Amino acid sequence: MKEIRKHLERLREVKKKHYHPLIHKIHKKHKISKRTLFYVKEYGPHTNVPKTIIKESIKILLFASIISSLGGFALEQVKGIFISIIPLLVLMPVLNSMIGDYGIVVSSKFSTMLHENKVKRKWWEIRELKRLALQIFLISLITTVLSTSIALLVSPFFGYALTTATISKIFLISILDVILLVSILFLVAIFAGIYFYNKGEDPSNFLIPITTSIADFGNMLLLSLLVILFF
Amino acid sequence: MNIFDKNFKDIFFSQLVSLCGGLIAGLMLAIYTDKLLLIPGMLILLPGFLEMRGNISGSFASRLSSGLFLGIIKPNKIKTKIIKGNLAASFFLVLFVSFLLGFLAFLFNYLILKTVIIELIFIPLVAGIIANAIEIPLTLFVTLYLFKKGHDPNNIMGPFITSTGDITSIVSLLIAMVIV
Repeated sequence: MKEIRKHLERLREVKKKHYHPLIHKIHKKHKISKRTLFYVKEYGPHTNVPKTIIKESIKILLFASIISSLGGFALEQVKGIFISIIPLLVLMPVLNSMIGDYGIVVSSKFSTMLHENKVKRKWWEIRELKRLALQIFLISLITTVLSTSIALLVSPFFGYALTTATISKIFLISILDVILLVSILFLVAIFAGIYFYNKGEDPSNFLIPITTSIADFGNMLLLSLLVILFF
Repeated sequence: MNIFDKNFKDIFFSQLVSLCGGLIAGLMLAIYTDKLLLIPGMLILLPGFLEMRGNISGSFASRLSSGLFLGIIKPNKIKTKIIKGNLAASFFLVLFVSFLLGFLAFLFNYLILKTVIIELIFIPLVAGIIANAIEIPLTLFVTLYLFKKGHDPNNIMGPFITSTGDITSIVSLLIAMVIV
């Protein structure tokens, strides 16, 4: 017990840089999980918890805020048309969080596949990845159709007159937006995941911020382009 | 290949929860369009403001869950250094991101639309404080409650935060506009 304490105290003093070899040694010797050791190193009694969290989160939040604002700026350019199309206004928060959520699911699942050594050279032949792709595309299609239908159903209550042409256009915009972005997110998660994994980094730390930022920016940009194109 | 497995159900049902929150937020946006989007530049900060809940409260819930599973955080002990530290960091990050979003919207407006609207900086700041005064304690208590009840908070907190976050964000923006 004294020896474990001594080793854990040593671990707390280690400067937080990359994955420290001491974690591996203590994990092997005392059979303590790597996650526990990571937590001890990050948030031990001698660490400044708020400082650690702020230091690690601030850069990625800064990046995400700039990307979101750029996306918002694209939308601001078509504000006049956009706010007059009530179903799209209702759909905007749904599409934003939905695409971001799929980015998180794909990133975390693909990171796990990489860690489990399931990804070989020909990634397109992996059965689990094919199944995940089919599941995500099917779920995104169902949820998009469902949310678009609800948005269209409520819009007459706001005085928005629906025509067959508008209904078709709104369905087309939302489906194209989701399917295109989910495809891009899938490809980005795969290529970036393999790249970071081959570099010896944990892909989970990079893929989620990258995919959610692409989802946000891409959604706003694509929505703006599709609104210009169809209306 | 059977695609309708447990994985499919988990993702599908969590998306349905998230969809409900998003639709309520969208409806509120449609009801209050004349108030919310009247100020030029509000659409610039809106996506980032909606996303902020997930980025900050989502990470907060994830850190809490890890601590709970590792036994470092006890579900019945709230006044610990690690929880207080997490709360302080989350509130600071909210202030920082809210200010940044407001400043970026102000800057875009000034540089491109050539209009000076100082309210664009204060509205997200006040709204961020209001929204997170609700969202961060809610995240803390729901995560601890779910863990105590034997659930894995990681599976539930994501959609919970995005759906409640979208609603609180729009409501707090409306309140902030009245205050500012």
